[in-house]
Amino acid sequence: MRYVVAKDSRDAVALLNTGENARLLAGGTDVLVQMKLGNKTPSLLIDIKSINGFSDIFAENGGFRIGAAVNGAEMGAHAALKAMWPGVVEAVELIGSTQVQGRATMVGNLCNGSPAADAVPAMLAAGAMARVEGPSGTRDMLVAELLKGPGQTKLGKAELISSIYLPARPEHSGDAYLRFIPRTEMDIAVASAGVNLVLDASGTVADATVALGAVAPTAVVVPDAAAALLGSKLGAQALEACAAACAAACSPIDDRRGTVEFRTKIAGVMATRAANIAYTRAGGQL
Amino acid sequence: MKQDFKILGTRPARPDGLDKVTGKAMFGADKSVTGMLHARILRSPHAHAEIVSIDTSKAEALAGVKAVITGDDFADVESRWTRYTMQNCMAQGRALYDGHAVAAVAAISKTVAAKALKLIEVEYSVLPHVTDVDEAMAPGAPVLHEGVKARKLGDDVSGNTVGYYSFGHGNPETGFAEADEVIERTFKTAAVHQGYIEPHSCLADLGGDGRGELWCSTQGHYMVREVCSEILGIDASQLRVTASEIGGGFGGKTTVFIEPVALKLSQKAGKPVKLVMSREEVFRASGPTMSSSIDVKIGMSKAGKIKGAHAKLRYQGGAFPYQMVMMGAMSAFAAYDLEHVQAEGWDVMTNRPKMISYRAPGAPMAVYAVESVMDELCQKLGLDPIDTRLLNAAREGTKSSYGPTFKAIGLVEALEAAKAHPHYSAPLAPNTGRGVSCGFWFNFGGQVSVSMAINADGTVSLIEGNPDIGGSRASISMMAAEALGIEYDRIRTIVGDTASVGFSDVTDGSRVTFAVGIATINAAKAAIKEMCKRAAKIWEIDAEAVEWVDGAAQPTGHNAGDFPPMSLAEIAAISGKTGGPIAGHHEGAPDKAGVSFGVHMVDVEVDPETGFTSIKRYTAFQDVGKAIHPAYVEGQIQGGAVQGIGWALNEEYIYGEDGLLQNPGFLDYRIPVASDLPMIEPVIIEVPNPGHPYGVRGCGETAIVPPLAAVANGVAQAMGVRMFELPMSPPKILKAL
Amino acid sequence: MARVVIFGSLRAFTDGEGEMEIDAQTTRELLRKLATRHPALAETIDAGVSLAIDGEVFKEAWFTPIGPESEVVVMPLMVGG
Repeated sequence: MRYVVAKDSRDAVALLNTGENARLLAGGTDVLVQMKLGNKTPSLLIDIKSINGFSDIFAENGGFRIGAAVNGAEMGAHAALKAMWPGVVEAVELIGSTQVQGRATMVGNLCNGSPAADAVPAMLAAGAMARVEGPSGTRDMLVAELLKGPGQTKLGKAELISSIYLPARPEHSGDAYLRFIPRTEMDIAVASAGVNLVLDASGTVADATVALGAVAPTAVVVPDAAAALLGSKLGAQALEACAAACAAACSPIDDRRGTVEFRTKIAGVMATRAANIAYTRAGGQL
Repeated sequence: MKQDFKILGTRPARPDGLDKVTGKAMFGADKSVTGMLHARILRSPHAHAEIVSIDTSKAEALAGVKAVITGDDFADVESRWTRYTMQNCMAQGRALYDGHAVAAVAAISKTVAAKALKLIEVEYSVLPHVTDVDEAMAPGAPVLHEGVKARKLGDDVSGNTVGYYSFGHGNPETGFAEADEVIERTFKTAAVHQGYIEPHSCLADLGGDGRGELWCSTQGHYMVREVCSEILGIDASQLRVTASEIGGGFGGKTTVFIEPVALKLSQKAGKPVKLVMSREEVFRASGPTMSSSIDVKIGMSKAGKIKGAHAKLRYQGGAFPYQMVMMGAMSAFAAYDLEHVQAEGWDVMTNRPKMISYRAPGAPMAVYAVESVMDELCQKLGLDPIDTRLLNAAREGTKSSYGPTFKAIGLVEALEAAKAHPHYSAPLAPNTGRGVSCGFWFNFGGQVSVSMAINADGTVSLIEGNPDIGGSRASISMMAAEALGIEYDRIRTIVGDTASVGFSDVTDGSRVTFAVGIATINAAKAAIKEMCKRAAKIWEIDAEAVEWVDGAAQPTGHNAGDFPPMSLAEIAAISGKTGGPIAGHHEGAPDKAGVSFGVHMVDVEVDPETGFTSIKRYTAFQDVGKAIHPAYVEGQIQGGAVQGIGWALNEEYIYGEDGLLQNPGFLDYRIPVASDLPMIEPVIIEVPNPGHPYGVRGCGETAIVPPLAAVANGVAQAMGVRMFELPMSPPKILKAL
Repeated sequence: MARVVIFGSLRAFTDGEGEMEIDAQTTRELLRKLATRHPALAETIDAGVSLAIDGEVFKEAWFTPIGPESEVVVMPLMVGG
């Protein structure tokens, strides 16, 4: 196996395009584990950590651009980012242990393609954009458009994600992410929810996005769950309708981590609880 | 019995602490030698299959491969119990569970060994399998081994039923007829793993001359020597086994899984062989504890007196005959003074890994079922759970439900301490319940050897033969210091290899502090006798006229002679001139270990929307006889409680319809993590064991017994619904709500 | 004569006899006499048994003295943890 440190993103794309069995290495918290377990045996490992800008968080047009090699601990330590998108940051901070936080990246979490990835529902709720670089150039697309299925993304041949953009947001907005696990840390979501809310001056929900994780082959945006919250102040009726819409959107599997019945129920619970947190963060009074 | 102690009860720094926190400690996988090979084991992908053929030729032809072995490389052995152990290490003819070893490779690197495994061609013929205890016990189930059904059992149970035990006295039916309230319930508990952090690892070197060296992580290196020398057909004297520092055992390292394989590979390759299990292999092919299916029926008077009690325990212990349900049947009702009691148990084989001990093996699930029914009776009759247990508690003179009459025991003291503790009267938050449970373990004595050398500089070198899994090097040094009358830090205790000190039983049954302690005190007595003799010679008086007081020899009185006391250091300094080195040793098999009772109390909060249970407060009371080093004792109590909490809430071996293990890793086999738990508050109760000169009882195992029911009883109160199956994972709780 | 109690499932090998008196000075002597009286028990005794003598549990200790008024409970061999 060859290990190469890519000089810039064009170099990384060129290496990906050699036809070798190549894998990208940023934090390595997925790929190294897969290699150790013998599940992945790449012939070329392309380290993208040293690429200029890949390890930086930039303010851009009122939002933030987060490089592909920025780790969870760095996002957690960025006060302005955390103040603007607390839900996204808390989702990334839930990945792994303290040690893993020093390596794991949000982009890696997305590219690993797990339906239970913590960062993804939060990014979907936030309307995050991914910057994709490949042999035919650079394009920006919604994270939602990249999701395909377990272990897969819609990235094309020799394409990589160089950064994620979290947009600027209006006043009275807030987001939150919650997941259910059978213990308190070091686990994989059985069901999860990211919620992003914008309130009007009176505290009424003016805009909402609800996304669920671990209840379908990919994380999913649930427009009906968001619609249930619109025009409300998160009263019992709105939350009940939101939970029901979440349950309707679930198509989970039965496995060792949870049953269909359990996941379907819990998804709504996570969404309504996340909505309450997002609402409070947006300045609403519950 | 000695009561006034200078050293016992203090908390000196642990002797292995610095090595462990700096990484200097040598665990099983830490030892390497020049020229050694790396071994890997090929494992069955089927729950039950006939091994039609194994073709190892391609693997043998791979460059770098030095030896390949299969079950055919192992000759038969005389003892059937050793044969089961051997066939568990390497299948012969049939693969009996998912993960059962079928072949092994030694090669110049791990990578080559892994490649070679893929080149071994095994042809299987898949057979019907069974993994559930009730299904395995039912007539018509696929039988794992013919001809091993327990004697005197009828056709109502299958040939997998390899053991039947019954304990008790009186007639439970008479008791039920006298009772005001009778409750009968059926429980199920999942198989759980000890979860030791260090996987099984060894380095084996068996030469062509039949002489061998084995380094391994084990709870008993003499056991390893005896089992391996029998399997390999070599003399015990020729195989020296050294126990590495151990990263947890909890009973799981009281047998062998890989050592005979590594020795055989080494013998075949003519080189040292290192074999380290992966975590996945540990889950699939080491020894978890039993799963169970249990019926408990208890009848109680309105006042809370138990009138009759009956338990039927069905345990599943994996792919070979075993004997462990007996301990469950003996423990089930041990906490109570009963007139009419019976506990029956059946040991059953299934297509799962061969079980091995796990902390108080067999007791936690039996006591969980009994204490759950006790709690339900108290609820139904409106009785206080501690008062009711006090009313029925076993005490000195009680004829136990398993036969013997109890000597001094500390259950009543533990219950009274629990009742008086502020935890018991603290207010409860919404969705929170408080559970209480008793627990019990026998504790063992057994064979032990200790050798103690008095060094010329006045220090003491002590060798014991039991791997230190819970602080025994500290507690043994402390007891030696107490007996000799010197400072703790003048003594260093080490665990000797099998060639350096006499035979010692496995470190199990909470026996080491008790049994090695007695041997240590006796070895000290022998050394003291010799030191008094030397002083007598120097003083030219009779040896009988010298006594040992506060670490020094002195004349018994003015009539004996008028000499200032001679300290251990002073006698040792000139020992070369007074007759040579001074030492003491003791070999024996002490009994009278003294049983230990505990009472645990826990507050749990259940999230009614998710079924998530969190432990809010936990207090554990336990009679330990005499706490030698209280910090270690507290650690034992806390550790047992934590493992029991895991058993109650999330830990389980999950098998699919295909008989394959679905969660062989710590991600989906959920032991509690630190953030799942509050500080467990241990409360040490000391009712001295009359069978030990310092009053010691074993303390390592009792603490895993009460948590299962304590947590379950707390959950029942918090939810208003009782769960009859462990683990009480969130999906199960939410479904019940 | 010591009072010997055969416990639980071991009674299957003594034709149901639960209590008997045996004249023995040590556990070894007691077990020998027990095996002679109930041959079906011999296999179990050979494999190992635990004995509770006046409440104290002994494992495989042949020369433990037994008093004339002692109560001896014969149980399966205890192994464990």
